[in-house]
Amino acid sequence: MHLAPDTVPLDLPPLQSTIALPYRLTPGKATGTFLAELAARRIVGTRCLRCQRVEVPAQDVCSCGHAELEFVAVSTVGTLQSYTRMPDKTLGLIRLDGCDCDLLHRLHGDHEWAVGQRLQACWSDSPQAQALDLLGFEPAGQGAMAGLAPAAFEASREPLDSMATELKLHYQHAAGPYYGRLFDEMRTSGRIMGIRCSHCQSTLLPPRELCDVCYERTGTWADVADTGVLQAFSIIHLKFIGQRRDPPYVYAEVMLDGASTKIIHMLDGVDIEAAPARLKPGMRVKAVWKAERKGSLDDISHFELIDPI
Amino acid sequence: MSRVAIIGVGQTHHQRRRADVNVPGLVREAAQRALADAKLEMSDIDSVVVASGPVLFAAVNQPEKWVVDALGARGKPVVRITSGGGTGFAGALGGYYQVAGGQADRVLVVAYDKLSEGALQASISSLYDPFWGREFAVGIMGFSAAYWRARMDKLGHTEEAAARVVVKNLSNARMNPYAHVRKTVTVDDVLKSAPLAWPIKLLDVPPISDGAAAVVLTREDLAAQHTNTPAFIRGIAYCAEADNAPQRSMLMSEPLAHAARVVYRASGITNPRRQFDVVELQEPYSCFELSYYESLGLCPPGGAAELIASGATEMGGDIPVNPSGGCQGANPIGAAGLIRLVEAAMQVTGRAGEHQVPGARLAAAQTGGGWANLRGLAVVSAD
Repeated sequence: MHLAPDTVPLDLPPLQSTIALPYRLTPGKATGTFLAELAARRIVGTRCLRCQRVEVPAQDVCSCGHAELEFVAVSTVGTLQSYTRMPDKTLGLIRLDGCDCDLLHRLHGDHEWAVGQRLQACWSDSPQAQALDLLGFEPAGQGAMAGLAPAAFEASREPLDSMATELKLHYQHAAGPYYGRLFDEMRTSGRIMGIRCSHCQSTLLPPRELCDVCYERTGTWADVADTGVLQAFSIIHLKFIGQRRDPPYVYAEVMLDGASTKIIHMLDGVDIEAAPARLKPGMRVKAVWKAERKGSLDDISHFELIDPI
Repeated sequence: MSRVAIIGVGQTHHQRRRADVNVPGLVREAAQRALADAKLEMSDIDSVVVASGPVLFAAVNQPEKWVVDALGARGKPVVRITSGGGTGFAGALGGYYQVAGGQADRVLVVAYDKLSEGALQASISSLYDPFWGREFAVGIMGFSAAYWRARMDKLGHTEEAAARVVVKNLSNARMNPYAHVRKTVTVDDVLKSAPLAWPIKLLDVPPISDGAAAVVLTREDLAAQHTNTPAFIRGIAYCAEADNAPQRSMLMSEPLAHAARVVYRASGITNPRRQFDVVELQEPYSCFELSYYESLGLCPPGGAAELIASGATEMGGDIPVNPSGGCQGANPIGAAGLIRLVEAAMQVTGRAGEHQVPGARLAAAQTGGGWANLRGLAVVSAD
């Protein structure tokens, strides 16, 4: 990678970030039925009326491509086809009696496992309308009913039509030498630095390797002031997850003096009621820094109008 | 390179939440409708494009793999295309090139989004750079509102002009059986609605929707085998600019203006206002429709407020825009760009039912996504 002559690569620790989002997923009729019936200790599959294939868990569409299916209650006993051990669990592919495909599930309890082993379902004592109401499969007891054919199914309860879940994804983002120097200068010197395109001489903030317009390499680093122009703003009343401040507040897009690209931030010190009439694009703003800087855009607490309205 | 025809279209009846189907079920519905429209089976299809919005909208990564069985597409090439709000259109573009380039005779493009599954604004914030700006982002709404405010000063895109867009689109949506927002509003209702990211107010914002759309594409010389009413794609382009490029103006949509120049040249459009019979455009907020009038050349810069006030873009006007109701009527984001193309095809083949623009034979279908930096346009004609 090309580096400008006065840049020294910096090995900043990676940025830790977490994306945490809630969901209400729709399982659809087949999965919704399968999930609901686990509380009744039943495993529900589907038989395709065209090709006769019995699949489990229940499906909305058969793998043959047709959607004419009937629900069936399948045997809770079957044969282990294959398995894999992981540090925290063991997973197996189980061919339940009478089914034409394997069910992927946990192998439950501290047992020896072997391909060909007969297994039976084991159930949660406190079902909560979720997949793990079926805890997994364990070695079949002496009394386990073998060879039960899939049977006609009568729903014992409403299928689930919504499943609450959360995604929590953790990331470690490498900063690279451009963010590396930018944040180092912000933290140690309270200095904002952009980088100039070697061709059009625009100063790009955040600094980057290539100019977005010319596709030429960037060259020299340049100081960017912490004052600038309020290019655009909107007044936020909307509440949403992950918002860092309770509304209302002013969302600001600022072109700092010396930079050719905008930054996004917030503008304080403005009467929210008066703002629609009195705040205008083009007004001059200045950054208000936090007392303690960590090397991020967040080191700027907010912006203020240079000439209050 | 051959010209490409749309020989079948389908869409779901979009809703706030489809609790009765999961994602594969939703996708299958639209695909089956398009196949039925083209009088084809999946076995006739050479290749499939699945277009869906950002995976965080519905929490399933690589969803194209999840929907293969529901589509009946085992053994066929299946790719996923994703491009923010422009996803559906970009999916069509992918299918277009497979046909035009001779790699496939019949391509199914299906686009969807199931926005009711997740927390939309929070998901959108994750699309920003984690190092620089994510913590201040307010989805797409924050910056869209901010630059609308800037365009008020420079181009006269008033709140009232944007409100007229909402009134028009919701009125049109009532004639569209696939749209789910069924209310009539006045300019005053819009102006008085609660500010969300002022100047964007509650009624300036499209609904959150679950929905899917699909098209079957084939070469122009094969079209007649499948339908008496093909719609031809005369020109198509999809352009991007960097979100944070130097001197990005946000006053004119430069990527859209660029796409329009390319497509108009390819399609023989020299006077869009006069030549198009109908326009379908994707307005993520009401203010964008005003901006697109100018970027598409339907009026000069600064002329959008006058254009909407004149009534020319209403049903019955000389350049109806969004007879389907646009995004105001239904907005399953990943599908919205393809819905515009579907609606354009329906218009030029005389199959738009109660929201048909009489005699329409030449349509524009516009799309957009990202941080207002992805913009596309297609010209669709009956011949």
